[in-house]
Amino acid sequence: MKSTKYSEKVLDHFRNPRNVGTLEGDDVAVGKVGNPTCGDIMEVFIRIDGDVITDAKFRTFGCGSAIATTSMTTEMVKGMTLDEAMELTRQDVADELDGLPPIKMHCSNLAADALHEAIKSYRKGRGEDVPEENEKVKEEVECLIGKDEFLNKGLYLNVEDINEFKDRRTLILYSGDESVETAINISEVSERVILLTPDETLVLNPDLAEKLASSGVKVLYQSKLLEIRGEFEVEKVLIFNIDEDEDYELFVDAVVIIE
Amino acid sequence: MKQVYLDYQSAKPVDLKVMEGMMKYFHESFGNPSSLHHVGDVATDALEESRKKIAGFINADEDEIIFTSGATEAINLGIIGYALRNKKKGNHIIISEIEHISIHNIAKYLEREGFTISKVPVDQFGKVSLRKLEQRITDKTILISIGMASNEIGTIQPTSEIGKLAAEKGIAFHTDAVAAEGLVPIDVKKDNINLMALSSNDLYGPRGVGVMYMQKKYRVNPIIIGGGQERGFRSGSEDIPGIVGMRFAAEIMQKEMNTEIKRFQEYRDRMIKQVLDEVPDSHLNGHPKDRLASNAHFRFDGIEGESILLSFKDLGISVSTGSACTSKTLEPSHTLIATGLLHEEAHGSLQLTAGRFSTDDDIDIVLEAVPKVVSRLRELSPIYKTK
Repeated sequence: MKSTKYSEKVLDHFRNPRNVGTLEGDDVAVGKVGNPTCGDIMEVFIRIDGDVITDAKFRTFGCGSAIATTSMTTEMVKGMTLDEAMELTRQDVADELDGLPPIKMHCSNLAADALHEAIKSYRKGRGEDVPEENEKVKEEVECLIGKDEFLNKGLYLNVEDINEFKDRRTLILYSGDESVETAINISEVSERVILLTPDETLVLNPDLAEKLASSGVKVLYQSKLLEIRGEFEVEKVLIFNIDEDEDYELFVDAVVIIE
Repeated sequence: MKQVYLDYQSAKPVDLKVMEGMMKYFHESFGNPSSLHHVGDVATDALEESRKKIAGFINADEDEIIFTSGATEAINLGIIGYALRNKKKGNHIIISEIEHISIHNIAKYLEREGFTISKVPVDQFGKVSLRKLEQRITDKTILISIGMASNEIGTIQPTSEIGKLAAEKGIAFHTDAVAAEGLVPIDVKKDNINLMALSSNDLYGPRGVGVMYMQKKYRVNPIIIGGGQERGFRSGSEDIPGIVGMRFAAEIMQKEMNTEIKRFQEYRDRMIKQVLDEVPDSHLNGHPKDRLASNAHFRFDGIEGESILLSFKDLGISVSTGSACTSKTLEPSHTLIATGLLHEEAHGSLQLTAGRFSTDDDIDIVLEAVPKVVSRLRELSPIYKTK
């Protein structure tokens, strides 16, 4: 089966997704699964009255089946009790859509998981006992591989001449205001400047935050630099995404670490 | 609904004039060039005339053209055939990070056979750095294979400079010219090309036919063994209708190319300007200037390529994407990643490639659709936030 060969029902939910949007209030719970790296992110919002789901909404970034499965899930859960909704599986959603191409069963059918996340967070919020599965212990990675090797070969510990970065894809590690200012300055001569921080947000004075937001600098949150790679000079880096607990390579030409 | 096709990089319709030229060779002049009778001689004449015309198209000599079953076979024969024949000289081969997937897979195969493969990185526009290429050359390097242009983002490589460098270092230079043929003039002598792959369909000829160009004094080991056709480099009775088709396609291309390139450039530049102007947070992938005349390649923040493609499908528009969700492996395009994109950025790509039968109307229809499709999908998206 072709990966884009979908049933009429899938196509209908893709073209006319039901329940797009968000919900707010004390009786609302949110579940979010997926990550942009694998190509799908789904957010499911449910409103709960007593033990029954009275309303559901969603937002999805992803391919056709990702959009259709989230849409279908929100349709299916309305009126269900929380226990019933916990029983809803990916397969149930796929069946209701008259099937999905096998290759899409896993990655694009996470909507049921998002729903379960929402229910768990609701129950946790009410002090109920929720069994935790797969709570990962995240390792702290402190040691950066390649730092000595690439010094003066694309790795900079300070920036004197901005023009050296002209049209070079540059990665800067966040280490305070100076690193943010440097990133903004380099973005004047290079389209591709990435600022890396292990934190969820950057705490900056409003003036600098404003400048950063209107610059071309791309900020990667919850990310750590693990390794600098290249045959003779900086060519790529290995980045660890703390939130997703996974690493990936990114092609760059220069790395700036201001200590 | 009017159907609009802007995916010429994936497949091209066979030109009707090419089909007319081929017809005779299915039934009337059906002979086998290996036969010594008159019917066989007619086939031999058709084969050799085709060889001559196709050689002329790339400024090669007739005896440097070997017909294959398509570009994939030509690439296999050029790279694997050359590597196996020359493994006593060295076991190191250099390719680029943005070669067509078939070359990456051939490289993996050769690694299992004991060869070492180096990949040259590209800059943010997809261009191979000559300096980084030169850094990778060792005394064990026997072959450099770098495609003339990217089949995805359309970036044109400095082929002439690469050929010159390879010649100076005494290393064979293979180039996959499939994305470039018909859109970039090819001159194997001027560009110091020793081995090259061409496809017939990319010239609006039939599929199932290709050419491996092999410069005199260069030799490969055959990978298909049989009756010794094509001087033993590629056995199997020649597909005369297909080969004749490729010949007519090359002849038409030679005449039309300059006019076509100008027309495609107008389409391309109009698409690039209008999409970047009208769609917020949209970006051009590939090189701003050195790109194939037919290629416009975009990415849009916050949305995913397969859903773009499906939305266009509903509007009767056929386009391509570099998204993982349409690939066999669920990995995003290695080409986009090599230009320095993050996975989530590579997912939101749209590739528009025009061709011989594209019209101004087609471009208008697509340009009207793009902003609408993008904004609808962004409304659904949790990761797109208006700034």
